[in-house]
Amino acid sequence: MRSYAAQRAALAVIQLAVLSILVFLLTALLPGDAADMRFTETLTPDQVARLRSQLGLDEPAIERFTHWFGNVLTGDLGTSLISGGSVADIVKASVGATLVLTLATLAVVVPLAVVLGLVMGTRENGRLDRVITSITLALSAIPDFVIAVVLITLFSLKLGWLPATWVGGDLPANPALLVLPVAVLLGRTVCLLSRQVRAGTINALNAEYVVQARRLGVPRRQLLLRHVLPNAAVPGVQELARTGDTLLGGVLVVEAIFAIPGFATALVDGVETRDVPVVQGLTLVLAVAALLINLAADLVCNRLVPRTELLR
Amino acid sequence: MKPLVEVRGLSAVAGTAVLVDGVDFKVWPGQVTALVGASGSGKTTSALALLGEHGRGVRLSGEVRVDGIDLMSNGADAAAVRGRVVAYMPQHPGSALNPARRIGTAIGELSRLHNHGADGVVEALRAAQLPGDRSTQRRFPHQFSGGQRQRIALAQALACRPKVLVLDEPSTGLDSITRLQLVSELKELTGQGLGILLLSHDLELVRALAQYVVVLDAGRVIDAGGTDVLPAATKLRPRPGTTGTPTPLLQAMNLTASLRARGRDPILQEVELTVPPGGCVGVVGRSGSGKTTLARCLAGLHERHTGRITLSDQPLPVLRKRSAEQARRVQYVWQEVRGSFDERRRVDDQVARTAERLRGVSRVDAKAEAVATLARLGVSAMVAARPPSQLSGGELQRAAIARALLARPDVLICDEITTALDEHGTALVVELLTELQDSGMALVWISHDLGLVAAVADRVLVLEVGRVVEEGPPATVMAKPAHEITERLVRAARLGRSGVAASDPDPGPRTPAVPEDVVPEGAVPEGAVPETVVPEAEPPPVLTSCADTRSEPQR
Repeated sequence: MRSYAAQRAALAVIQLAVLSILVFLLTALLPGDAADMRFTETLTPDQVARLRSQLGLDEPAIERFTHWFGNVLTGDLGTSLISGGSVADIVKASVGATLVLTLATLAVVVPLAVVLGLVMGTRENGRLDRVITSITLALSAIPDFVIAVVLITLFSLKLGWLPATWVGGDLPANPALLVLPVAVLLGRTVCLLSRQVRAGTINALNAEYVVQARRLGVPRRQLLLRHVLPNAAVPGVQELARTGDTLLGGVLVVEAIFAIPGFATALVDGVETRDVPVVQGLTLVLAVAALLINLAADLVCNRLVPRTELLR
Repeated sequence: MKPLVEVRGLSAVAGTAVLVDGVDFKVWPGQVTALVGASGSGKTTSALALLGEHGRGVRLSGEVRVDGIDLMSNGADAAAVRGRVVAYMPQHPGSALNPARRIGTAIGELSRLHNHGADGVVEALRAAQLPGDRSTQRRFPHQFSGGQRQRIALAQALACRPKVLVLDEPSTGLDSITRLQLVSELKELTGQGLGILLLSHDLELVRALAQYVVVLDAGRVIDAGGTDVLPAATKLRPRPGTTGTPTPLLQAMNLTASLRARGRDPILQEVELTVPPGGCVGVVGRSGSGKTTLARCLAGLHERHTGRITLSDQPLPVLRKRSAEQARRVQYVWQEVRGSFDERRRVDDQVARTAERLRGVSRVDAKAEAVATLARLGVSAMVAARPPSQLSGGELQRAAIARALLARPDVLICDEITTALDEHGTALVVELLTELQDSGMALVWISHDLGLVAAVADRVLVLEVGRVVEEGPPATVMAKPAHEITERLVRAARLGRSGVAASDPDPGPRTPAVPEDVVPEGAVPEGAVPETVVPEAEPPPVLTSCADTRSEPQR
């Protein structure tokens, strides 16, 4: 286990190095730069050229990369070309809301998916299984923004129970703000996850070791929780790591609809103004988060069902 | 003494099919009752009735009384019996361990569940002959070897402190030395008062263990009594063998094989092997001694080897470089054949394909030849027309043999081809192969069963950790084993025969409750040349039909 974790961590470092190069390359490929973007507004070509050299945008790409990468290694993500503030501050300011939103969604999704998956798995092809399957599949088939619009219309505009936007709201003081965004994010994730838990449960229930445990007199409840669930959870945990990006895509839409000043909003703003350091910083943080999530998922799976061949 | 288990008139019906029809048997404390019969004869269905368990859509009727509880009466709670009174050990029990749980936790759970909180982990592990220390308990199933996993499964069953232990084909996949060990361990358990219900088609194991035998065929009891109801076996002496050096057909010189590239992790070292035309070389050894690697080298499947392999004095390359003719001349039948059949095509078509591909026979002729060969091996045309998933392990094994034979090979490499077969099936295979041998086909017969090998081979090689430790004519090897491992294999080959009875007198006290017709094993004097038992080619109808007419669909 320990050597496995070390091995995976070493791999993660290499992945990070490659990622940072990719991030830099891809942002460098964006058409136009920050100076061009401002050109259309107020500045003359002469001023743009001066601005460009002032911002260091006329240096060769390799030089810019080594400069940026060196800074990243020391923890300095650079300064925004637009606001002049530190990128680290921008990341810090935007990450909070997204983190809260994601964690709140997971806190609802994971238990729900496990329970639904177990219920469906133990009643394979029964009526309840089919009903839950239909509902979750239907939910996941409807685009996020449609669900969002319907929910806002119903609960905010018609009934007036919940706030429609996050503007001006302080989260800890007002958890009601979270209800609608989380409800929108829930649909697809719960569907994907509960399907995996269901499949895992069915597999485990038919596995020889569960049949044997039943024959040795392990009562049903104990059988499900101690024998079936750890094995059934494995595909679920791996799926959870994989849906990380799906969730993030959803967060983007949800942040836009509910006017949440989060990560995605900052990223979109950065791209629009070609504020390359901000985009690079945000992307890098995102990539690191994705890596860590996958690493954690693999370690959890290895702990749940410690067969190394499962993960190699 | 009262029987622990009393089954009377047990029937199991699925739709219109009768799986079990009026079966009676009893299990006494400290005694072994054996249900004997081929796969599909209703052994497992009958045994699972003791747990109140039946397949989907199967109706049970009759009387099943376990430790005074009538499981078939209304409102009877089978849960009170499971584990606590009857513990069932499935075939391949090692794969019935939960990969996600430490073995100590799993055993402890069962122990506490059935013994009111008592923690019997260490005892259970010790009873299954495993160390009971903490570090062992903290390990996961995948950290044990196959044999140890079987013991862990046994420890789980024993942790429930059952009164009856049901063992479903416990000797499957064990090499003959381990099997001998199993016999003495099971005798020890019965000595402690445990009643055992043994389900097996391994008649030698049954002869060695059981006091009471029930023979099942197609769900009916066709005979019951002591071990004397088992079909008689003919005694075959090991062949005298040859000592001269005939012209070799297949030859391996200085053969060394390794698991990893550039000779690291060697598993076969400096093996010399010569197969004359029409001859049969037997290769024996424990599991892990390199037998299969040797077969794979000869078949050209194991590429990491050095040394020379020649066929009719021409060098024989690895399989992917062999010509079609070379591929035809050397055929290989291995042990686990299910994966080598296409799930979606009929078995007879797949068998016929060899003749079409390697000999250019027309489709119709190939099919006819396939059906005829399969019939010789006891697989009827009706069975062979099914997809592989509907054939039993034994039927599929014979189909694999037929598939190789349809190439009309000059050399047939047989790697443990009889482990999935009962005595009758083995007899059919041996008969056909001996006949083909007379017409010039050479055999390399690999098995852990020295008794069988000695009866078919002209020359025997004993492998141990990748080296040939002994070689000679079968009769000499059997009579004067020079190496310690050979000696153990010779002893193991006598399981259920004179050797066991003579060297291992009745371990536990016999209770007077044993039925009159149970005959204790008598000590049969040993001859100067040990005799091996190979089933008759035509055993009484008792076990003939069951092997072949019924198949157990496996998925």
